[in-house]
Amino acid sequence: MNIYVINGPNINLLGTREPEIYGKETLEGISKECQEKASKVGHSVKFMQSNYEGEIVEWIQDAIINKVDAIVINAAAYTHTSIAIHDALKSYSGYKVELHISNPHLRESFRHVSFISSAVDSVVAGLGPDGYIQVIDLLSELPIKVN
Amino acid sequence: MSNGKLLIINGPGLSDLTDHNEVANDDLSLSVIEQKCIETSGEFGLEVDFRQNDDESELLRVLVDDNSNFDAFIINPAGLSKSSFIDYDAFSAAINKITNQGKSVIEVRIENIFIQGSSKPLRGNDSGVGLVSGLGKYGYVLAINSINKKLSNN
Repeated sequence: MNIYVINGPNINLLGTREPEIYGKETLEGISKECQEKASKVGHSVKFMQSNYEGEIVEWIQDAIINKVDAIVINAAAYTHTSIAIHDALKSYSGYKVELHISNPHLRESFRHVSFISSAVDSVVAGLGPDGYIQVIDLLSELPIKVN
Repeated sequence: MSNGKLLIINGPGLSDLTDHNEVANDDLSLSVIEQKCIETSGEFGLEVDFRQNDDESELLRVLVDDNSNFDAFIINPAGLSKSSFIDYDAFSAAINKITNQGKSVIEVRIENIFIQGSSKPLRGNDSGVGLVSGLGKYGYVLAINSINKKLSNN
């Protein structure tokens, strides 16, 4: 299974950005763990991060063109603002998971609205960096269409 | 003290899942979910107490009175999320009390509640409550896997 793991703004600062909320693990560390898990269960993972909304939209469009089987997206702050990412995800017909390290619904009220949640198949939040690994692992168990 | 016991609480209406759309439409019933939970937990040597109740006061009683008997909690509030109960102080306080002990609480929803737009996720303090929505019975599997990892790291 081919999977894009797409990360949004400020996630490159993991490990130093508010570690009491996001933990001490770096994005590089999470990427490495995802790759390890993926190779164990036979997935191919492309792990990406951008601070630019348009670049994230283009990666989702790439996933459509390249017939990627699943997208795991942590759109970070764009979760709460981006209709463009919502629209791109709606155009993608593979399996889609919205992921967050913390649980946005337990934080500031401006994080309670997600433009992503209604455009994806499932939402996983608040499980810490381990959420990425658990989702990659579970994708091999889900009865979803693989190209 | 850690005892490897996991409490799974299912709220009102979950005894009948005939109208729920499972991932890829395979057959779903509460007993199928229970079986999957027992199987997954068993692989890790965890013990599961799997319950369903339509009575909100009973669900609150379990969280308040029995919380010390378990290491981790999976809650599917189901129909309660459309009532005012979910924001009720007593319920939030019970969840906070559990997470303050460093125990995992994960809210699991069978369908993606955000597509319907009318359900509210659980409220608690800002740490320790996870959310898994829209993965059908596999949501429970993911939650158990996550809990096992956390318990193994403690």
